[in-house]
Amino acid sequence: MATVTLTNVAKRFGAFEVVHGANIDIADGEFVVFVGPSGCGKSTLLRMIAGLEDISGGEIAIGGKVVNDVEPADRGIAMVFQSYALYPHMSVEQNLSFGLRMTGNPKADTERRVNRAAEILRISELMERRPKKLSGGQRQRVAIGRAIVREPQVFLFDEPLSNLDAELRVQMRVEISRLHKELGATMVYVTHDQTEAMTLADRIVVLRAGHIEQIGRPLELYDNPDNIFVAGFVGSPKMNFIKAHIVGRDAKGVVVELAGEEKARVVQPLTGVAPEPGSKVIVGVRPEHFGVAGEGDADLTVAIDVVEHLGGTSFLYARTAHGDDVVIQRDAAKVPETSNVTVSIRKSYLFDEKGMRLR
Amino acid sequence: MRNRNATAYRFLTPYLLIFAIFWVWPIISSFLISFQATRTVPWRFAPGFNWGRLIGDPAFFNALKNTLLILVIQVPVMIALAMVMAVLLNSPLLKARGLYRFAFFAPVVVGEVAYSAVFRLMFSLDFGIVNKLLNSIGLPKVDWFSNVTPAMALIMIAVTWRWAGYNAIILLAGMQSIPDDVYEAATLDRVSKLKQFFYITLPLLKPVIVFCAVLSIIGTMQLFTEPFLITERGGPGGGTETLGLLLYRQGFRSLNFGYASAVAYTMAGLAIAITLVQLWLTREPK
Repeated sequence: MATVTLTNVAKRFGAFEVVHGANIDIADGEFVVFVGPSGCGKSTLLRMIAGLEDISGGEIAIGGKVVNDVEPADRGIAMVFQSYALYPHMSVEQNLSFGLRMTGNPKADTERRVNRAAEILRISELMERRPKKLSGGQRQRVAIGRAIVREPQVFLFDEPLSNLDAELRVQMRVEISRLHKELGATMVYVTHDQTEAMTLADRIVVLRAGHIEQIGRPLELYDNPDNIFVAGFVGSPKMNFIKAHIVGRDAKGVVVELAGEEKARVVQPLTGVAPEPGSKVIVGVRPEHFGVAGEGDADLTVAIDVVEHLGGTSFLYARTAHGDDVVIQRDAAKVPETSNVTVSIRKSYLFDEKGMRLR
Repeated sequence: MRNRNATAYRFLTPYLLIFAIFWVWPIISSFLISFQATRTVPWRFAPGFNWGRLIGDPAFFNALKNTLLILVIQVPVMIALAMVMAVLLNSPLLKARGLYRFAFFAPVVVGEVAYSAVFRLMFSLDFGIVNKLLNSIGLPKVDWFSNVTPAMALIMIAVTWRWAGYNAIILLAGMQSIPDDVYEAATLDRVSKLKQFFYITLPLLKPVIVFCAVLSIIGTMQLFTEPFLITERGGPGGGTETLGLLLYRQGFRSLNFGYASAVAYTMAGLAIAITLVQLWLTREPK
């Protein structure tokens, strides 16, 4: 097992920079997820760790050793690809053993490693089948098996579940989590799905347009986002953003008035410099932080467009008087019958006009 | 539903009529003609006449031997060469890829007569560039047109020049359909580029290689232009006469359509048989 350290890692395609000086420290045995929207550079970053993509600047170290100029096969990593990348003309057994056979690994050791991987992933009965005779989930297991037989220091996963259906995705998520506990290996996992990131990661690295927006434990990111992007990206349904402006300051903190709602004021404790009164800001409220009227800081009346019933909870898709769309989470039993409802903000986050968190 | 089908068939009728008259009927007709003695007027039904002659005709066996020799040597060499060209064309190091692709494909679109004339000039005994090159490196001149072995070699070189690029483009398309991440996975597995070619590219290209081989076999079985134009009607002394040329000679020079039809059916039968054997040998394991 090993640590992975990225120091000022950059990637340029010609004059176009897609990763801008990334700094990440991954501890031995840690499960780190790179998450972000398409084109944010997360897969490029992973492929640079793997050695499949050249590094334009900075340094990558695995197990304390700088690997910038080390061949992919010599980096002590194994990678699981989004498309599985199985050899279609080989059986599962041949897929698992191919690399070891080609490099002249002793036969007995190859067999031991293949059998161990097959047992861990419960694919022993599929060994003679070809990939096209396997289901998506089984293929993904074989792809993971191929990584396990290499006995790597670091496992790299490039969106491994995105080709699976929703149910299988949940199942495989649990399997990968189990695998991490069982092998205790360092794992770096790339996904655009924040639910996968939240459920699997010890720590999440949120990326946008080649920049690291925030690194932290899943609940840290959820409870304490650094900016409006992380706040919106982590959590489902996403955080609501309501336009507002600063009114003044009182003993508890800065007083913010929601746009179009003269009576709806929230008070944010603020240790840093407060923006001038009149400055435009954005108030972020998670769907579950809307309470019934009178329960929190500010009450506002919203017009309900659509109600989604999910069983135990329901989501109210509504609009504020100012025209901001909001999603409100409610217990199914407490969904109002009326088209307008007054809700109260129990907890909120404050962001400046540029989207940076005001704390 | 029946009405809709009828409408569809009505639209297809012009094509089907032409197909029936100019394709199906000649196929049936030539089969029937092969059972007739066509050197007498009127033609008479004589099943053993042409087919019996075929078995004992030295000219047929000479043409068959030449055709099979070209098939056995030229087709594998050409496909191997096409594979090397495809690998080079697929290399990420290659600049001006489109230009090379065009250059390799160009021989197919060159007129057969023009290319044959150029080959005759290039391989001419006294002023051909090939003999001049051989001389310049201290090798003796070769009389490509008067000796059987060089003449056969010339036919094979010409056919290979004409069709290798075409096959390379087909193989290249096959190579480009193999996903990059399969090679990346192999690279991470420490598999060398050479082993990747033999253990990944070749097996995955097998259907495309078989396709190229079948096309080439069918083409070679019908080989006509090169021995007709380059070695002047199968010369020297029938040394490069192929089945296609024998068919032409019998049918259109001697007007012996019965025998020519029997030769034609033998060519088609052989092409089918060789192709079936090849498909069987390269079938996918279940």
